[in-house]
Amino acid sequence: MFYSPVITNAAEAAGHKDLHLFKYIEDPQQHKIETYEAHGGYKAWKKVLKGMSADQVIEEVKKSGLRGRGGAGFPTGMKWGFVPKASTKPRYLCCNADESEPGTCKDRVLMERDPHGVIEGMAISAYAIDCHLMFIYIRGEFDHCRERMEQAMDEAYARGHLGKNINGSGYDLEMIVHTGGGAYICGEETALLNSIEGERGMSRMRPPFPAIEGLYACPTIVNNVESLASVPHIINRGGDWYASLGTEKSKGTKIFSLSGHVKRPGNYEVEMGFNLKKLIFDPEYGGGMLDDKKLKGVIPGGASTPFLTPDMIDVGLDYEALQTVGSMLGSGAIIVINEDACIVWVIKKLIHFFRHESCGKCTPCREGTGWLEKIINRIELGQGQPGDIEKIEDVCGNILGRTICPLGDAAVMPIQSAIKQWRDEWLYHIEHKKCMVKTNFEFK
Amino acid sequence: MILTETSVEEIKEKAAKYPRRKSAILPALTVAYRQLGYVDEEIYREVSKVIGVPNVEIAEAATFYTMFPKKPRGKYLIQVCHNISCALLGADSLISYLEEKLGINKGETTEDNLFTLISVECLGSCSTAPMMQINHDFHENLTRDKVDKILAGLKAKA
Amino acid sequence: MAEATAKKDTPEIAEQMVTLTIDGKEVSVPKGTTVLQAATQMGIHVPTFCWHPKLKPVGACRMCYVEVEKMPKLQVSCALEAMDGMVVYTDSDTVKQGRKAIIEFILLNHPLDCPTCDKGGECDLQNLTFAHGVDDSRFDFQKYRFVDEGMTTTFDDKRIGPEIVLNRNRCILCYKCVRANKEAFGEYDLGVYERGNTAEINSAPGEEVDNPYSGNLVEICPVGALTNSDWRYKIRVWLTTTTPSVCNYSSSGTNILFFKEEHKNKIYRVTSRPNDDIDDGWLADVTRYGYQVVNSPDRLKKPLIKKEGKQVEASWKEALDVIGKRFGEIKAKLGGVCVGALVAPSLDNASLYAASRLMRTAFESNNIDFRGDYRMLPDNPESPFMILASQPFRIADIDDSDVIVSFGSDLVKEHQNEYLRIRKACNFSNTSVFSINPYAVKSADVARQELVYKPGTEEIVINGICLAAIEDDLVDRNLAVGLKSRIAPAAAAEAARLCGVEIGALRNVARALSEGKKVTFFTGEIITRSRERDLIATALFNLRKLFKMESKGQMAALARYANSKGAEKLGLLPEPKPALKSKLTSIWGHDPDCPANITDAMMAQIKKEEIKGFFIMGANPMMLYPDREFVKEGLEKLEFLVVCDLFETETTELADVVLPLASWAEYDGYYVNLEGKTQKALRAVKPMGEAKPGYAIVNSIVAALKTEVFQSDEQIHSQVKELLKLESVIPIPDEFGDVHPASDDRGGEYNVALYVIDDPHHSGYLTEKAPSLANFVSEPYIEISFEVAAKLKVEQGDSVRVESEIGKVILPAKISEHITNEVALLPRNFASTGVTSVMMRKRRVDRVKLSRVVE
Ligand SMILES: Cc1cc2nc3c(=O)[nH]c(=O)nc-3n(C[C@H](O)[C@H](O)[C@H](O)COP(=O)(O)O)c2cc1C
Ligand code: SF4
Ligand code: FES
Repeated sequence: MFYSPVITNAAEAAGHKDLHLFKYIEDPQQHKIETYEAHGGYKAWKKVLKGMSADQVIEEVKKSGLRGRGGAGFPTGMKWGFVPKASTKPRYLCCNADESEPGTCKDRVLMERDPHGVIEGMAISAYAIDCHLMFIYIRGEFDHCRERMEQAMDEAYARGHLGKNINGSGYDLEMIVHTGGGAYICGEETALLNSIEGERGMSRMRPPFPAIEGLYACPTIVNNVESLASVPHIINRGGDWYASLGTEKSKGTKIFSLSGHVKRPGNYEVEMGFNLKKLIFDPEYGGGMLDDKKLKGVIPGGASTPFLTPDMIDVGLDYEALQTVGSMLGSGAIIVINEDACIVWVIKKLIHFFRHESCGKCTPCREGTGWLEKIINRIELGQGQPGDIEKIEDVCGNILGRTICPLGDAAVMPIQSAIKQWRDEWLYHIEHKKCMVKTNFEFK
Repeated sequence: MILTETSVEEIKEKAAKYPRRKSAILPALTVAYRQLGYVDEEIYREVSKVIGVPNVEIAEAATFYTMFPKKPRGKYLIQVCHNISCALLGADSLISYLEEKLGINKGETTEDNLFTLISVECLGSCSTAPMMQINHDFHENLTRDKVDKILAGLKAKA
Repeated sequence: MAEATAKKDTPEIAEQMVTLTIDGKEVSVPKGTTVLQAATQMGIHVPTFCWHPKLKPVGACRMCYVEVEKMPKLQVSCALEAMDGMVVYTDSDTVKQGRKAIIEFILLNHPLDCPTCDKGGECDLQNLTFAHGVDDSRFDFQKYRFVDEGMTTTFDDKRIGPEIVLNRNRCILCYKCVRANKEAFGEYDLGVYERGNTAEINSAPGEEVDNPYSGNLVEICPVGALTNSDWRYKIRVWLTTTTPSVCNYSSSGTNILFFKEEHKNKIYRVTSRPNDDIDDGWLADVTRYGYQVVNSPDRLKKPLIKKEGKQVEASWKEALDVIGKRFGEIKAKLGGVCVGALVAPSLDNASLYAASRLMRTAFESNNIDFRGDYRMLPDNPESPFMILASQPFRIADIDDSDVIVSFGSDLVKEHQNEYLRIRKACNFSNTSVFSINPYAVKSADVARQELVYKPGTEEIVINGICLAAIEDDLVDRNLAVGLKSRIAPAAAAEAARLCGVEIGALRNVARALSEGKKVTFFTGEIITRSRERDLIATALFNLRKLFKMESKGQMAALARYANSKGAEKLGLLPEPKPALKSKLTSIWGHDPDCPANITDAMMAQIKKEEIKGFFIMGANPMMLYPDREFVKEGLEKLEFLVVCDLFETETTELADVVLPLASWAEYDGYYVNLEGKTQKALRAVKPMGEAKPGYAIVNSIVAALKTEVFQSDEQIHSQVKELLKLESVIPIPDEFGDVHPASDDRGGEYNVALYVIDDPHHSGYLTEKAPSLANFVSEPYIEISFEVAAKLKVEQGDSVRVESEIGKVILPAKISEHITNEVALLPRNFASTGVTSVMMRKRRVDRVKLSRVVE
């Protein structure tokens, strides 16, 4: 069986009373239901079924202050509360395991190594919104995750944690593992719903919001894997406990995927508000810059978030703190870039991605990303023209905030910040028809 | 029929779980892709019959997603992530290395039809970069040595 | 059957209003209105590309941006619901900048080939580019080009259907075509493939875009990406002028616009003239391309007179002299009763009325009918079926009906616009549709349930629904008792068994009818064509009374032709309704009281040599009336036959005099649609050759007969107006009627029910002369199910022998996935089919034997 070689801070988590998602993550047997149960698994689910109402579950999660870990950071309990109580239509829960934001590789580890944690979280969340059919949407490339999740699902059915009349409670809950087909946009919640419906994975207009009219036009909640995996712990230890972790507005713990030019890239579970600089440089975590090169910049929340320059990284990893420095927490993917990277080259990689992944539904994103890619490529190739930077900025302005879904914003925010932070480098590139720093990263 | 009976059964079984037939499109394409390594117009038609959804809907979905190539590829499809985290750790050089080793350019298939090399967007192995996916398997933290061993292993197996 | 779909939770609320401010002015609109609609209502133009008034908004193009106070981003007004207190700006600088940016984006990869683009002059993109003053491009790259294998130019013109050419380079991906095709038409032959900026529109793999609504796709395309061969490269739009008209091939009276060039006296195309009460702006292809019949070089241009057994061209004077002389002789010798007439229900009011008056006053004969293609129609103007047919019906009432029953109607083949209405009702509100037919039909794709009954058991199905309601206690018990004694069988289960429908399905219809708040229930051609139409109508009246439908909704037999309703209202039947008759008597000062015969009886009388002279205007009984031999023998036996038509047909061949008839596009005329609404069709072009409108022909015949029954065209018009004012709805009897299943004569080995249909791309016997329609289907076929085909061991296109007791035809098989049971469908639109040679006059349902032709 495949086992992702990613580094985690499991040892620390095991010894740390408040780190929970990664507590047993390095136990090679954790994906098995016996091990999971022996570690206290499915206790929360039983507790809910035995004596909690849906409203009580929602209340507890609201109290915990849990915010969505998929990128937007929307309060999870509040979102669940939007499901119309009076609706007679079925409700659906979709666990978003599309994990395609460049830099992000945390949900994958949870699914591979602790699949039952995800299922238990999904089950409790489903219960909270009176849902009887839940989906997990796994990106198609994650075949190992699909296999793990399906195995775990079968075990859960066999143990009576899923299916009809669960644990004699009268509650029925079915689960479907749905796999994607290669499309970043399907991580966007409405595109994800379209994808489950068998449509092209294009985002939908909002309103109506999925909580009112989502999958099959029924009330639907979409939550990220990590968000859902946090739920059993909140039920077990209480919303107040969870809320005691993290910062004032960003509660709990969060997994950060650290990648790029660091010595120890990996997934680290830390309390919200953890210092970014520490995460990169502390020997327990990132261990400092790879080959001790100089830091050029950091993308703190996945490829769609604005860059931080070295002087900005002494900052807490939480929604608010990152906002004050002009960036975002996003999915918690921290990409560390050393001084050998030409910024135009970095942006070329990113815009290629966003252009490739634009679903093509709305004009600004479809046409704009293509145009941007062309201009940026030409600068990279040393064929930039005077005025190109202004044109890029202008095109970005015509995309930002004007598209159906946030993919448009995601595509332009890093570009805008890259120009803002390293304008001279762009200018140099155009003027001298070559990079200011020669990018040449060799693999070992 | 190009789809085997087992595939058809598997598709039907998956389709039966969903509240609506159309939801079976992606699962069905996935089954077909696993069997064949590609999905073309003939398959759209077969899938359309099996799940009872108009042909055009299958084609629209299939061409939207990148995982379903229209033509058969080599026995081993090597997909190298060229996105940022991998690129920072030398993905471009990894691709060149593979091109050199396999004697083909990106996008091509070796003469013995064993390997097809393409580069793809982020596959979620950012902290274990650089990486490549060969058929369904991920290979991470790649080094020249590792790549050599993997390729040799596959060649020996073939 | 459609899958169960989750519908919107729509609480019943009285229409709430919201008030908002747009560009400084307040406006109140019903809750649920979009900002775009509200602005449009105020006369403010908001530009759009992807929005279509009849489709759900998708917010894709982003052209309709507006600025809303307290909302930081530009909003797309097409999908933004108007809210109380909203303050909207449609013309601020930010809005203008936003729109200009969209135009710039769209133009990046759009070819600037306006001079050679057929859309030039009526292109939304061209117009909006002009309006927003975008005159230069900051895009200094090669535009993206689709170039297919074997293509050397970037003018990527691909034929994707018989009448559609696609240029993907011009496509701006507004998705209107694909959305309309799926959402509005329920068709799956067009799609969008790939993604992002290389996404492309194309036909379904290996298929053609050949659905019966395909022309709309061209019309709604905002640019020149979709064009049709009809219009393509023929003329620039600004060189044409337009004339409003109505469709002559449908009973809805779809509103259309002719585009013509005065000097050339030629029509170039037809587009819709949206009328939300009637057509929602959609045209069936037969409506769009049917005008080509008018331009056909095969048109009759001069009268023909039979001389020594051969028809030769003659002048009008010569022809009229012969007519005056011969009809005059018959009348003088035997009396006018010995003359009969058959006119087409697609003729205008004036022509129909003139024909009626000619017969009833000049000849003093009541031998006139307009139903030249229905067997054994009732001759009593107040028979149950005629009552059903006279009932009021409103197309727009379909929109908010919560229960719709389509009974005995293959909608897509006979009422194409009504099918779209029903689809719309299903897409936008909580509507339950039941489709009840002797074979599975395409239009049942929107049905909550499709009931397929055994051919010839219509009254049993209806009785069964009534019985199910009684047994489930869904209806008034007193009524139930009253009805039970009048109908057979006695139990729903037995009815279900007899008609071959699941009892659960009967129950579902019963429940829906009892719970429905507004019901639309209509019958179509399968009922109209049934010999037992009166019995079926009685069964329906019983049902109507049982479910107390008088007060909730509508029930009617839908008229089939462009002016069937006009013909009915003007009394083009042998025996006009009493009220009409007395009105005619008062106008004419003359009571046309004499024996009257319907088409079938007239034919029989001709054979008995009781009718000697015959006048046919726009009808083709040889091709359409059941039993061709019967008709042929009759027409051949006549002493004198005059036929007026646009073309030479099987019927004109038998005539002594053939007169060239002007088409509806060639003179001003009035037509009454199936709702009873009179609509005007204006003259677009001059009549071809020496063709004349029907009423003018009648007038000249009157003159040739040297009688003076009417003076002027104005007089005709004013008398028509007066007659149309008469109440035409005949009240439905208040008592339950007896409905015991009628026998259905099945002929031993002739056991496959045969239904004569219109091909979805044709209507009647003229449309095969329209090249575009012939491009879709130009050959007859016999449509059968996969099961029947397997039994016969025939494959697609193989020859099948279709035999009835009286004749046989050999046709290629069209194996269709729509039909599932043992029936055969035969289009009647092709002269070469010879449909009528297998159809029998007295059959309830035609039955045939099918066999494979071994070569
Ligand atoms: C382009 C795009 C891609 C996204 N990809 C993901 C993803 O891969 N995984 C994820 O959980 N959320 C993703 N999101 C966010 C989802 O739309 C959604 O906000 C999230 O799944 C909600 O779950 P949460 O509240 O638990 O975070 C994406 C959003 C956008 C706009
Ligand atoms: S072909 Fe025309 S209608 Fe269809 S998407 Fe393109 S521009 Fe829109
Ligand atoms: S018309 Fe509103 S987005 Fe296209």
